[in-house]
Amino acid sequence: MTLHSTQEPLLVVSNLTLTYRATAGLTTILRDVSLSLQRGEILGVIGESGAGKSSLGNAILGLLSPDFERTTGTILFDGKPLDGNNERQWDTIRGRRISAIFQDHTASLDPLMAIGPQLEETILATKDTMSRRQARDEAIQLLTRVGIPDLDQRYHHYPHQFSGGQRQRAVIAIALAGRPDIIIADEPTSALDATVQKQILYLLRELVEETNVSIILVTHDMGVVSEITDSVIVMRHGEIVEQGPTSSLLDAPQRTYTRSLLAAVPRLRVSGAGERKERTEHLNDPPLYSGSAEPGASPILVAQGITKCFSGRRFALLRKRTQTAALQDVCVQLDRGLITGIVGESGSGKSTIGRIIAGLETAGGGKIEIDDTCFDPSRSGSRSGLLGKVQMIFQDPAMSLNPRMSISESLRESVRFGAAMAKDELSIVGTMMDRLGLARSLLPRYPHQLSGGQKQRICIARALLAGPSIIVADEPTSALDVSVQAEIVQLLKETVRERGISMLFISHDLALVQELCSSIYIFKDGRVEDAGSSEFIFTHSQNPYTRSLIDARPRRFTH
Amino acid sequence: MKANTLRALWKRHRGMSISLPGFLLAAYVLLALAAPLIAPQNPYDPLQIYGWEASSPPGTMGGPGYFYLLGTDGLGRDILSTILYGLRISLVVSITSTVVAALIGLTAGVSAAYFGRWVDVVIMRIVDLQLSLPTILVALIAIVTLGPGIDRIILAIIIVQWATYARVIRGVALSETGKPYLDAARLLRLPTRRVLFRHLLPNSIAPAITLIPIELGHAVALEATLSFLGLGVPVDKPSLGSTVANGFQYLMTGQYWISLFPGLALFGLIASINFVGEGVRRSLDPRSRSV
Repeated sequence: MTLHSTQEPLLVVSNLTLTYRATAGLTTILRDVSLSLQRGEILGVIGESGAGKSSLGNAILGLLSPDFERTTGTILFDGKPLDGNNERQWDTIRGRRISAIFQDHTASLDPLMAIGPQLEETILATKDTMSRRQARDEAIQLLTRVGIPDLDQRYHHYPHQFSGGQRQRAVIAIALAGRPDIIIADEPTSALDATVQKQILYLLRELVEETNVSIILVTHDMGVVSEITDSVIVMRHGEIVEQGPTSSLLDAPQRTYTRSLLAAVPRLRVSGAGERKERTEHLNDPPLYSGSAEPGASPILVAQGITKCFSGRRFALLRKRTQTAALQDVCVQLDRGLITGIVGESGSGKSTIGRIIAGLETAGGGKIEIDDTCFDPSRSGSRSGLLGKVQMIFQDPAMSLNPRMSISESLRESVRFGAAMAKDELSIVGTMMDRLGLARSLLPRYPHQLSGGQKQRICIARALLAGPSIIVADEPTSALDVSVQAEIVQLLKETVRERGISMLFISHDLALVQELCSSIYIFKDGRVEDAGSSEFIFTHSQNPYTRSLIDARPRRFTH
Repeated sequence: MKANTLRALWKRHRGMSISLPGFLLAAYVLLALAAPLIAPQNPYDPLQIYGWEASSPPGTMGGPGYFYLLGTDGLGRDILSTILYGLRISLVVSITSTVVAALIGLTAGVSAAYFGRWVDVVIMRIVDLQLSLPTILVALIAIVTLGPGIDRIILAIIIVQWATYARVIRGVALSETGKPYLDAARLLRLPTRRVLFRHLLPNSIAPAITLIPIELGHAVALEATLSFLGLGVPVDKPSLGSTVANGFQYLMTGQYWISLFPGLALFGLIASINFVGEGVRRSLDPRSRSV
């Protein structure tokens, strides 16, 4: 890699305007976007969905579909203009000098090719003069560099035999194969658990320092930006709202939008006396509902000794059953009128326990007690009567509503069958819509005509209209933008307080759980690893796993 | 839900010029409907048939004022008239059987996907058995055991075809059952019928809708085959297939028209149904929707 003078930027995008040609007409995706990238710089591009940040990355990679048109603007790479239509020019640049890492590590790898040969292939494609043996040596070197252990065996393993984090490491190795000048990383850590996310970000930072590669990091996550970027561009509706060095932009944002974006990031509070005071204040808030029992006085739901095994038939002919324990002797207790949190990484069984409590899945054993009524979770929910006692709010609002039913139909169904009220469905639905800040004009619409936040509000309305005493919320904000996430969290908080509902809040985000929950269970590998009041978990718990989860949070958003 | 799908279809087609297959199919349907009005004679009415004019070649001027444009068959029936009347029977048989087969197949497939376990196993093994037997054999066995007649032939085609719908929709419905909106429906303890027909079916029906025109073409062909083999509609109510069969014995003696013209009519009908079906499939395929 030749060294250039630092004054001359590696990549200059000036006044880029992109339009998208759809049947409905022309839409402007990017408006007058300018940026420059130095060698060895990590530039963060942050924005909410629809901000045009991915289109910007794809424009630089020349990967836009033909429906996009560059109306004005130039992209200068190393002093030469990149022409969107010149495929031959792209062949010498894409994968060699500019490469990419995408969010979905599973889709980025060929599932039918072992990791090592896959990387070898990329190396051979980018360097014509190299022999197979040299390529193999280089592949081993790269995989070692990105931190994949036991290469003697792992070299010939297939992508499904690796964990998510290791797959993303392999993708990074492939992106590095052509010794690029720029890597465009589009949400590289969004599909990964917090602890793994942190490792991958550190790896990227190290690679920049070692090889002087530049990275454009497209993300929606302020935490990611604060961890490793040198400078940041904040985008909204296809325009650049604000740009500047990371530290100054995050410390002193100039624009209201940047400020609101930063304010919406949930913050983790680890210690501080003032903080503790605030929390106790919150706990002492008088409940607005007129229930007989005090909140937290007696548990509304007790689940004891819940076990669950998934049996997979490995060999269909031999009928050899392999048993994977998803839950082992799990005990969970829900406080009346409060929010109880479950935190864990993917595969920890946190969603499974939620679905068992709701009666959607059967457990291997254990018992569930709701308001002194005992249910047997090993029988199907409709048989044991557990199904219908609890309502759920799901992660992906786009898939939680029947796409072929209007909002009004969906909500009225909930009133009619859930709450068993025959009279005046429409006015009950209308009142609920008003309460959740939804315009009644949305009623005749279909789910695809609504935004993600609106859809999730509808899902909350549907759960509430069925009149449950317990709601299980399974990652209800993970598919939403930060600003919308903050609104939904606020809404859940108010709902629980006003209606005296008890909620089980399942999340991977510690800060969210801290904000909402009075007591917290930390799940790991199908077991309750740590449990206690929110204050205990965040300030006193000595459990190493709990500590590692707290440490994985970006420092800027931890107090 | 169905209204939506139909609306999407309508929107696609409004801007397009009318396609030739569409025009041909519409013409077939109109001719079949208007057969009693426009046919030169009623081939089912023995009083209108003159046996001594049997096997007249195309273009013969008949005695009682008939002009046999396409000739007459071995019994003296005007070929043009038998085609028009045969069309009615072919269309009634194929449309009825396709609609009923679709209803049965879709219900069975969606139920298999939703209930899972033994319901799924039972339904899908029947489907597997059904699909592993040659269609014509299944139809033959059905006809032989049930006896001849128009209603029996409809039943035979239904028995042959429902399995295809069940197989197609089960796969789609299975991938839908994992979605949270169905979990939400279960949490509301909705009646099973409502979950199946309001939630699951409308969201898995799209691929099955594209299957309907294709299966309709198959139904026409199957009915014609059965009639040709003499197992279909009764001899005094000839469909297109049995008309072709009637003329088969005369082919050797050079009386080609008795088989040829009904055969061509059958060919045109099936071809137009298949082309229209392909058009429907394309306009419903989300991948081809971009402009």
